[in-house]
Amino acid sequence: MISYFILNIPSAIPWFDFNRINVLITLAVFFCFLLYFIGRAKKGKSLFIRRIAGLDAIEEAVGRATEMGRPILYIPGIEDMDNIQTVASMIILGNVAKMAATYETPLIVPICRPFVVPVAEESVQQGYLAAGKPDAYDKNSVRYISDEQFAYTAGVNGIMLRERPAANLMFGSFFAESLLMAETGFSTGAIQVAGTANIHQLPFFVVACDYTIIGEELYAVSAYLSKEPKLLGTLKGSDLAKLVIMIILVLGAILITANILWFKNWFFVQ
Amino acid sequence: MTLVEMIWTSSAALLTLFTFSYLYKDNPFYKFAEHLVVGVSAGYFAIILYYGSFVPKVIDTIFKQGWWYYSIPAALGILMWTRFSKKFSWISRFSLAFYMGIAVGVSIPLTLQNYVLKHLVETTRPINFTSLNGIWQFLVVVFVFSTLTYFFFSREHKGAFGVSAKLGIGVLMIAFGAGFGLTVMGRVSLLAERVLFLKDYLVELKYFLYMLFKYGILL
Amino acid sequence: MGFYDRLMSLDRRWIYLFVAIAVVLPILLEEFGIPISIPPYVTPEAKSVYTFVHKLQPDDVLFLAIDYDPMAMAELHPVARAILRQCFKKDVRVIISALSQNGPGMAEQLISQTAKEYNKVNGIDYVYLGYKPYPGIVIMGMSQNFKLFFPKDYYGNPLESLPMMRKIRSIQDTKGVIDVAAGMVADYWINDGAGRYNYPLALAVTGVMAADYYPFLNSGQIFGLVSGMKGAAEYEYLAEKDGYMKKEDFIANRSMPIQTFAHVVVILFIVIGNIGYFMSKRKKV
Repeated sequence: MISYFILNIPSAIPWFDFNRINVLITLAVFFCFLLYFIGRAKKGKSLFIRRIAGLDAIEEAVGRATEMGRPILYIPGIEDMDNIQTVASMIILGNVAKMAATYETPLIVPICRPFVVPVAEESVQQGYLAAGKPDAYDKNSVRYISDEQFAYTAGVNGIMLRERPAANLMFGSFFAESLLMAETGFSTGAIQVAGTANIHQLPFFVVACDYTIIGEELYAVSAYLSKEPKLLGTLKGSDLAKLVIMIILVLGAILITANILWFKNWFFVQ
Repeated sequence: MTLVEMIWTSSAALLTLFTFSYLYKDNPFYKFAEHLVVGVSAGYFAIILYYGSFVPKVIDTIFKQGWWYYSIPAALGILMWTRFSKKFSWISRFSLAFYMGIAVGVSIPLTLQNYVLKHLVETTRPINFTSLNGIWQFLVVVFVFSTLTYFFFSREHKGAFGVSAKLGIGVLMIAFGAGFGLTVMGRVSLLAERVLFLKDYLVELKYFLYMLFKYGILL
Repeated sequence: MGFYDRLMSLDRRWIYLFVAIAVVLPILLEEFGIPISIPPYVTPEAKSVYTFVHKLQPDDVLFLAIDYDPMAMAELHPVARAILRQCFKKDVRVIISALSQNGPGMAEQLISQTAKEYNKVNGIDYVYLGYKPYPGIVIMGMSQNFKLFFPKDYYGNPLESLPMMRKIRSIQDTKGVIDVAAGMVADYWINDGAGRYNYPLALAVTGVMAADYYPFLNSGQIFGLVSGMKGAAEYEYLAEKDGYMKKEDFIANRSMPIQTFAHVVVILFIVIGNIGYFMSKRKKV
């Protein structure tokens, strides 16, 4: 086996590529930011994250459903639990379940993947427990529809048309079915709040929904709600990395305009 | 076109029409077409995976070439299936850790290099207000900066920062509009191709029926 | 309900009807002897892909990655076909892979049909590798040595038995890569392929994906970008001008009148909807 690989891999591949040392340093700095903030969060130090405007939109949607006496429909996307967006969605679901329990508004959660069902049930149950109403939890609120993308979409559209929820909350990973669901929800007159990190689907949500949580805001919302140290620390670390990138951008533009090349060249990867 | 080809092409045309019937409302014909495509693609992929990957990488290597060490990754792969068992699902974590370790180790430096550093370098170009390119370059820097401020969560969007964030969301909406337009173009392309297929099919069908009639098969 | 409110809440089936008319109209006009031909405006990014292939010499080797499945055939088959025809006409040799799971059979059909037209022989003028899962790792492997992942080609021939592969060890021995892709595979080519091994890479992607790849074009990570069916029409147009294709062989260009009419209808409805929105908002104020 070893001789097979020795014969078949070019010998010119170095053990350490010094041309990419800038990538290593950048990576090391970024990891330091993450580890620092995760450490701070674990020690219980307060880490400020601004309140995302989408949270107000979620509360407004839940409030409207309560006023109209109609259910809330929560769609956690079509991916499995290995997708970080589904994980973030489950955290938001717990919070929505708590609000629904507080206001005694029915909650419907259609699920696309079998593995997500127990997690969703747990999130909803925890939400009802946090609101002090564990007996009000209805096991049938979490429903497995279908693994298949458009069969799931047809099922969700059917729920929207039959049960007429007043609020549709769509958080997670969506693909081609996003516009189908958002359009059907729009046609029923429901207030719609959506959030996804799938960039291709964001235009459809922006057009068809009342409020859209864009990309990384989905993770920020889940970090804000859960206060989980790893999530908070990661968010703060990536914020610091973004700040550094913004500074490099402005500084780099100024220096290159002044014909000072060494700064930009340091970041150049061969 | 031979009879067999005409039968297959007719099936394709019929399934296209079944799928289009969804435009009116959901119906059994559409459901049939949808389930057929899901089933066929799943079955096709299973066979491709078996003969293209499993046979050469597991069966041929271990049993025909005698490279017993290939059984180690094969075992790791099989252990992934233990995640379906409540009692033994902890075993799948070893396989997952191995797989994720390699995937993360390979992809993170490359992602930083190709998605961050290279774009950062290209965004920092000389700015001057005497040429269109120079003004455009200035706008690019401003737009990238303002979009990054929108996704900065450690500070409230107030004051100058708030103005920058508002500009950022405006830039995002322009980008979404471009994406939306391209998506519409893509979907219309798919529709156009299907309509042309149906048109070509009708022409072929007309000729085929004419030939059948001509040779007395169809009276 | 006021006029403007009615504009905003128009039944979607009216939109379907008008789009259907827009799609059928150019076909009917052609049948009645009024063909509509709309020469495409050739974008620089599509032209650079065409020029790259145009400048290749006989016996040069190009790597063509056909990474889409039948769902994206409408948008990407024309450009893949045009590139293959151009290569075969110029006696440029082609190595082809198909890293999309439902695409290998479709790619094989395209390759064998086009090769037959130009009397090209498998193993001498082209090699079709086929499909292997996990595109990122396969691309890295092919960039080092084809035999790591493809000891045999799609038809079961050992790679060392193919005359064309005797001097070609990896992608780095080819002139460059053109990836015709409909999914994440394009990202793997940028990240794990050209980003790691620095060979020339161009993309031909669906319309939906095209907007995402312009930053890579600006940064030089790809040298060209063919976007959707419009890009394919541009490529076919250039290929026909230089004699690689005939007008009768056009696929994407046939769809351009339909595309144009349908876009006009969509734009009209967007304008109508926006007029309805702003006027009804004004009325409420």
